[in-house]
Amino acid sequence: MAPPPSGPTQEDTASSAAASESPAPAAPAIKAPPPETPTAIRRRSYIVLSFWLLVVFLGLPFWWKTTTIYRADLPLDRMLEWADGKACRPAIPIQIAVHADSLQEEEANHLVRLAQHAIDDLNDFSGHHLRLQLAPRQDRPRESEQNPNSALSIHLKPGDATTAALDPYRAALDITYPLNSVPPLHSASSMLTTYIATELRSTFAEEQSIVSYLLSSSPTSKPAGLSPAVVEALEKRATRALRYAPTYHLTFSLFTDGPAPTTWDIDTAINEYMKPLLDVLGPIHNFTIDTQVQLYATPGVQSQTLTKDDLASFINAAEWPLSPSIGGAPTINFLTFIGNQTIGFPDSEGQTSQSWMIPQWGTVYLLSQPDTNSHVTKDALRQPMLTFGGHLLTLLGTPQSGSLPLRLSSLSRIRSADLLLRASDALGSLARLSRSLPSIAIPRNVADGVAKSIRHLEEACAGLGSSEALYHARIAEEEAERAFFEKSMVGQLYFPDEHKIAVYLPLLGPVTVPLVMGAIKEIKRLLQARKQRAQEAKDKKSQ
Amino acid sequence: MTFRGKAGIYAIAVLLRLVLFFAFPGLPDLLTGRVEISTPVTSFKRLEEGLFLYNHNVWPYDGGVYHQAPLLLPLFSLLPDSKSWPIFTPLLYILIDLLSADALVKIAASGEAGKSRLFTSPRRGKGSTGLVIAAAFLFNPLTIASCVGRTTSVFTNCAILYAIAKAVQGFSFHAMVALSFASYLSMYPVLLLPPLVLLAYDRRASQKTSVLKFSAVNVLVVAGCLSVLLGMSYALTGNSWEFLARTYGIQLTLTDLTPTVGLWWYFFIEMFDSFRSFFLALFWLHLASYVGGLSIRLRTQPLAALAVLLGIFSIFKPYPSISDASLFLGLFSLYTHLLPLMRYTYVASATLMYASFLGPAFYHLWIYAGSGNANFFYAITLVWSLGQSLLVSDLTFAVLRDEWEVERPEMVGKEAKQI
Amino acid sequence: MLFPIRLLAVLATSLFLPLASAEHTNNWAVLVGTSRFWFNYRHLSNVLSMYRTVKRLGIPDSQIILMLPDDMACNPRNAFPGTVYSNSNRAMDLYGDNIEVDYRGYEVTVENFIRLLTDRVGDEMPRSKRLLTDDKSNILIYMTGHGGNEFLKFQDAEEIGAWDLADAFQQMWEKKRYHEILFMIDTCQANTMFSRLYSPNIIATGSSELDQSSYSHHADNDVGVAVIDRYTYYNLEFLENQVKDLSSQKTVGDLFDSYDISKIHSNPGMRYDLFPGGADVARSRLITDFFGNIQNVEVDQKENGALEEELLELGRTIAMLRQKEADELNQYNNATSVPASQPTEPVKHIRGATALTEDNWWTKKVVGATALAGCVGLWALGSFLET
Repeated sequence: MAPPPSGPTQEDTASSAAASESPAPAAPAIKAPPPETPTAIRRRSYIVLSFWLLVVFLGLPFWWKTTTIYRADLPLDRMLEWADGKACRPAIPIQIAVHADSLQEEEANHLVRLAQHAIDDLNDFSGHHLRLQLAPRQDRPRESEQNPNSALSIHLKPGDATTAALDPYRAALDITYPLNSVPPLHSASSMLTTYIATELRSTFAEEQSIVSYLLSSSPTSKPAGLSPAVVEALEKRATRALRYAPTYHLTFSLFTDGPAPTTWDIDTAINEYMKPLLDVLGPIHNFTIDTQVQLYATPGVQSQTLTKDDLASFINAAEWPLSPSIGGAPTINFLTFIGNQTIGFPDSEGQTSQSWMIPQWGTVYLLSQPDTNSHVTKDALRQPMLTFGGHLLTLLGTPQSGSLPLRLSSLSRIRSADLLLRASDALGSLARLSRSLPSIAIPRNVADGVAKSIRHLEEACAGLGSSEALYHARIAEEEAERAFFEKSMVGQLYFPDEHKIAVYLPLLGPVTVPLVMGAIKEIKRLLQARKQRAQEAKDKKSQ
Repeated sequence: MTFRGKAGIYAIAVLLRLVLFFAFPGLPDLLTGRVEISTPVTSFKRLEEGLFLYNHNVWPYDGGVYHQAPLLLPLFSLLPDSKSWPIFTPLLYILIDLLSADALVKIAASGEAGKSRLFTSPRRGKGSTGLVIAAAFLFNPLTIASCVGRTTSVFTNCAILYAIAKAVQGFSFHAMVALSFASYLSMYPVLLLPPLVLLAYDRRASQKTSVLKFSAVNVLVVAGCLSVLLGMSYALTGNSWEFLARTYGIQLTLTDLTPTVGLWWYFFIEMFDSFRSFFLALFWLHLASYVGGLSIRLRTQPLAALAVLLGIFSIFKPYPSISDASLFLGLFSLYTHLLPLMRYTYVASATLMYASFLGPAFYHLWIYAGSGNANFFYAITLVWSLGQSLLVSDLTFAVLRDEWEVERPEMVGKEAKQI
Repeated sequence: MLFPIRLLAVLATSLFLPLASAEHTNNWAVLVGTSRFWFNYRHLSNVLSMYRTVKRLGIPDSQIILMLPDDMACNPRNAFPGTVYSNSNRAMDLYGDNIEVDYRGYEVTVENFIRLLTDRVGDEMPRSKRLLTDDKSNILIYMTGHGGNEFLKFQDAEEIGAWDLADAFQQMWEKKRYHEILFMIDTCQANTMFSRLYSPNIIATGSSELDQSSYSHHADNDVGVAVIDRYTYYNLEFLENQVKDLSSQKTVGDLFDSYDISKIHSNPGMRYDLFPGGADVARSRLITDFFGNIQNVEVDQKENGALEEELLELGRTIAMLRQKEADELNQYNNATSVPASQPTEPVKHIRGATALTEDNWWTKKVVGATALAGCVGLWALGSFLET
């Protein structure tokens, strides 16, 4: 325990203590010092008292207040529950609206019921299940606004044969069926319902496997029985995709090893080919964009034919300004290199390629163009831009199969599940950290962040699969990360007691000694005085 | 002391300062920039910055440069523009110096240093006259430097001296008002309240009212004055209390670690972050802890208690400057009659001289030449503090010895040994 | 079954790389020199040599955090201005043309180092100065400077303790900020620095035991000081001669076996117990798992027709999207169009930039006069009361 603070510091302790506490300089050592007068004694008591009052009533509280480590109350158990997956069993219900306007009401209902049974029979993973729902009849089904919470709508139409086609423009599955395949009202199963079920399952297969893979990497959920090939593919997706960030920064760069071209129609090209894609991604991510042109840029590899090993070092990381340090958003690079290099494939002749993707980084596109051309037109940029667009989806972790709208809506569901798990994980890390490091300070805003994160987690968990889930999961993750990475939770945590002595003693030691000695002397004197008084009283009595 | 003598001294002091101000045009700005003279809370440069912002309708504490009391701003804005009329600011500072000297003369004239209500020194006749004291104050290089350096601590000093002078004259209300001004400007003078109340009580014509009642009234007066001043500041800074954090808060938390001649800056540069607030509290407590003890011990001579306290403050306050030392030396000169009882005057004065000459040199080596480091300057501020503390403890010793000799006349002139 | 077919079709669009044993996807290097002043030239050249090596093996500058507390190249005592050499033959200028120092001079502090590891940095910190690793990152952490029993001095002013380092690693592990770490330290009593580590997946090695000094290798008489430390020198010798490029199959075990106590003059230490699988697994890790950058690019390798077709389809879709843009947006907007980065903290009221005006000059004077009058009034009140 540290000596209490207060009192004079080292250098004048001697003088002030001597001055105030032994007011009468003594006579030479041979003689005993003359007795002190009562007033002097009383005065000295007051002085000692005044110092001690200060120490006890101001010094000690200050010491207590300023040296305790503030640790805000964190709901540790709750946080660990989230991390262990006990607080929430993530389950993504997928609403599918069935438009069967050509069928009778009862027939349609029956069809939906049967199809639902068929789906339930096929499904073996509880975290992700499809729910069919008969959409209210509408006269103009094509124009009808979809229920925002339904992930897919099925349009049943009579036709010649049983066919299914994904609408490339909307999240919709068009199924045609021969009239005779509609199950009669009392039948237990039919070809059509099985067909619908299989079709739906295959449509959502990739999403389902991604979700089950996500959940299986969290501690409690049992790994779903995925085949090794699928697992490998999923691993690949995981390594390719960038970590989730609310905002990404896209850098479009034009690099050339010569003096030309110096201009490019990037603005219109982005507007034409990129903007629509970014717009539909808008609900999931924000994007900021910048562009640059670099002349005389030497690639890291000079050879004419690039082998696959060359591609990795093609980017001249040391000299090309590709990692802008402005802003906090991760950068995705889309690099167009003007040059006539080709990519060679040793094993398969005749194949050519102009572009390659670097996982978690971006894309490089080799664009060959005559040297004299000092301008890259919009049309020349079409191919690169489309490639970039495709790769952007990959880099963001979009599933590969299905129509674009479906892929995007599945991306938002996958991202919300992903964020939910990340946020839970961050909370768990923070909880374990605060248990294992008892000397780390935890400021109040960490506790606030945790509370907010848990609140949004609950909402996200309850609404998984709906469109709000992403919003809540995003806030939950952001808050959990911010709480974990709280800037002030840094410092030298390990502060052994001998260090504390080294901090306290040099300053407080010299102060404490006269204080304590003064107090002891006073107490001794008081005891003696009391004894004396008692003695005197006794004497008086005995007289 | 003749009127003519006084006027002569004042005239010479004014002339000297005017010469320094105007014959050496670079001098005021040079001195203003010295860390020994200007601290973050008293610097004239910072005041000018605040004044500029204030005059241009910007909140003066924006920018984090200005840390002084808000009321200084409207007062200084009354002066004509210092660029086109450079004469007025120096005149104001010179006037303040003269007022301070005048207050000192009044204190000396009362004879309180030698004979208080409860104690009469046998040596009281041997002290210096008011004229000498005023001259010692006015021609003290430290005083001149702080005047030419235009630090705002001269206002605080003047207010403190006036508080003492008025207390000595028995005008307790005036004394309390002056002390409120001083506290408002620099905060630390509020610690002088207990001995000042005692002094005012002792110097009253009659002691009919009890000390407690008298103190209560005076504390209320100070509280009232301070609330008026703070209220004015509140209204002035756009109805916000934010200025408290930017003025007194800076002193309490020592957020500005600009070097000064004091002990705090270096200590808090080196301090572990986790202990910073603890040691801040400790240093402030340390500063405050002397008040009680000294007021009790020197109950018979409150003026001496005030002098010693001011000495201690000029060593241990968060942002001390040489102007605080000049205030202490001014009061010290009231006690010249005790010089024979002091033991280390030579050592102390030599140390102070040593520090005053080497301080600027070491600062130059550290900041400009780059051939030294912060330890150079800090070492010299330690020496400076050592010299001052020698002087303070010597004064304390002399005052006590003086008292003791009255109690025990047979020991006069003999060597005494402390135990 | 439609699903595997579709998935495989997708997978076919990209070339598969052998995943090998590398479960990490990116490599980072944190290279820290901790001492200032000219006579510590060798510590800076240690760090710079390591920097050259990891860069040679492909780790880009954006994934190297280099902390240099002093600038030897520009030191006035440097007889070869603008250069730093780690060998008296002066064959290789370590300073070279492009070197990216992330933390330099007085930025190299214990606090900044711990902040770097734990990523507890403010919003103002640029991304290039942050260690943006994840659970798939292998990190090489190399430190050199003056140390002692369980501490390493930073600059001349402070030190990092073994406990603090261990806690920082634990925080990284908790937040899944690394996959595996190779911790390498060259200082006196270096092995004590990793004695307190307790987080998994770390291989640690140091130059000398408790109560042992680490020695410099040789001095350059023209530079005038020692230019490199022994332990680092022999590490580099191995890396230069045995690990020529990324295809090298040399393992961490090979590197450790190459240590020769008679040459290093101290007993290098290794620590495998934190590594799952212990010494055998740890020793079998490739050198390039830590010193080199993992390279996996995916070439768009398809029959031209297919690629064209897909892109055209995408183009068509995009064209369609442009038409239906408004519709689609409305649909999403219903609930989700909240901006992705919302200010979550209550914004503290900050006075905005104000134009400087001298408008109410007279008001100021009046206010000043009032204030003065107030003070004088207070004083006068005193005179009134006391006379």
